[in-house]
Amino acid sequence: MFELFHYPFMIRALVAGGIVAILLGWLGSFIVTRNMSFVGDGIAHASLAGIALALLVGWATLPTAIVFAIIIAIGIYVLQHKTPISSDMAIAILFTTGLAIGVMLLHLSSGYQPELMSYLFGNILTVSTQDVITIVSASCIILILLTFTYHKILFTTFDPDGAYLAGVTPWKYDIMLYIVTAIAVVLSIKIVGIVLVSALLVTPSAISKLFATSFASFTFFSVILSFVTVFVGLLLSYYLNVPSGATIILTGTSMFIVSSIFVGIRKKLV
Amino acid sequence: MKKDYIIVNNLTHTYGDFVALNNISFGITKGDIVAIIGPNGSGKTTLLRYIVGLISAKKGVVSVGGKSPKDMRKHIGYVPQHFTFDRTIPITVQEFMALESCAKIEHECKNIKKALRAVGMQKFARQKLGTLSGGQFQRVMIARALLHEKDILVFDEPATGVDVAGEQTIYDLMKHINKERGSTCIIVSHDLSIVSSYVNTVICINKTLVCQGSPEKVITPKKLKALFGAATGVYHSH
Repeated sequence: MFELFHYPFMIRALVAGGIVAILLGWLGSFIVTRNMSFVGDGIAHASLAGIALALLVGWATLPTAIVFAIIIAIGIYVLQHKTPISSDMAIAILFTTGLAIGVMLLHLSSGYQPELMSYLFGNILTVSTQDVITIVSASCIILILLTFTYHKILFTTFDPDGAYLAGVTPWKYDIMLYIVTAIAVVLSIKIVGIVLVSALLVTPSAISKLFATSFASFTFFSVILSFVTVFVGLLLSYYLNVPSGATIILTGTSMFIVSSIFVGIRKKLV
Repeated sequence: MKKDYIIVNNLTHTYGDFVALNNISFGITKGDIVAIIGPNGSGKTTLLRYIVGLISAKKGVVSVGGKSPKDMRKHIGYVPQHFTFDRTIPITVQEFMALESCAKIEHECKNIKKALRAVGMQKFARQKLGTLSGGQFQRVMIARALLHEKDILVFDEPATGVDVAGEQTIYDLMKHINKERGSTCIIVSHDLSIVSSYVNTVICINKTLVCQGSPEKVITPKKLKALFGAATGVYHSH
C-alpha cells in the first residue's frame, strides 16, 4: 500500500499536487463567486505560448510560463474593464492568441516535442525537485498574501461599490486576484495539464457550494475537497497506471456527481 | 441662512448620446431629510451615485462638506436601488454585514447585531443571504448602512419589495437616525405620501432641477403634473 512513497517522483507529485490543491481550492471559492471560471481556462491555454517559448530558447519553463500567464491575465482584465468588450469575448481573444503563438513557436522548434504532451495533459513523472521548490515557495507566498487580503478580496468580490465606499480600492484586489490565479494555474500545469487545470479550480468549489452553510465553510470545504481530489486522483493514477491529470479531474467529477445525487435525495427526504 | 453641506453645481452626465443629467444645480443643508423625486429615467440614481462618490464629476461640480464626494465617501452610507449577486453563493447575513464592519475596524463586528435588531432582522443573522426575500434583503442593506455613524445616509428607493410594516420601520428609522445623530438623509422614493410625511425638503428633477422646497410647497397637483406629465394625487399627513 505504501510502496508508492518509496518513489521520489511520487513524493514530489504529492507534495507539489497537495500545495497547489490547497491554493486552487481557496482561489476557486473566489473564482466561482465572481463567475470567472472561464478566466482560469483562458489563462491556462494561453500560457502555452510561454511554455513553447521556454522550450524553444531553453529557458526554465515554469517561470517563463508564469510571466506569460500574468501578461495574459492583466490583458484579460484590461479588455474586460477598460473596453466595451464582454468578458467571454476578452478571454476568447487572448486564449486563442496565446494558443496560436504557442503553436507558431513550437513549429519553429525542430523535431518532435515529447514534453509538450506532458504540459497539455499533465505528467507527474516530469515534476522535478526544482519544480517542487518553485511550486511550494510560490504557493506559500500566495497563501500568505491571500491570508492577509482575504477580507478585502471577499468584499470586492461580493460588493465592489460597497468596498469602494468603505475606502477599499477594488481594482487593486481584482488585479491581484487575476495575477495570483494566473500563477496558481501555471504551477499546477505539470500535475493536471493545460487542458484540464481549470476543472481543479472550479469542481471542488462546485461540490463545496452544495453543502456549505456560510462563506467560511464554503472556502474551507473547497480547500479540503481540492486536496482530497488531487490526493485520491494521484493515488488512483499510480495504482491504475493511467494519466495523472485526467484521473484527478475524473475523481473530482465523480465526487461532484455523487454529491449532487446525495443532495438531491436529501432534499426529497426533508 | 444655513450654508449648503452638499452642493451640486452645473452637473451634466451623458451615457453615449443619452443625456441623463443636464446642467443640474442645487444645495442640501446639513442635517436635512431630503427626498429626490422625478419620473423614471429622470437621472435620480445617477445623481445619487455622484453624491456618494461612485462617479466623479467631469462636467460640473459636486462637493460634500467642501470636499469631493470621493474624499468623503467613508462618511456616507449608501443603500443602492439594485444589488445583484449570485443567490447560490452561501454567504450568511452576518458575513455580508461583516464585510462593511470589519473593513473599517478589524476584529470589531459587535455593531452588526445592533444594526440587524434595528431593522427587525436579528433572527436572520446566520441565514444565507440568497434565501432572503426581496424585502428582507432590503432591510439587511439598510442595516449595513447603519453600521457606522455616517454623516450622510443615501437611500435609493429603500422600500422596494418591502411590506407596509417594513416600509414604515425604514422611514421611522431614518427619521430617528436624523434626530439622534444629525445625519443628513437623502432618499429617492416614488411614494409621494410617505415623502410628504417624513422629509423636510423635496427636490424634483427631470434631468435638470424642476423645483425645490418643502413638501407642502412642492408636492402640489400642478407641480407634479409638470414633473410627471400626468395628474398625481397626494395625501399630506401634516
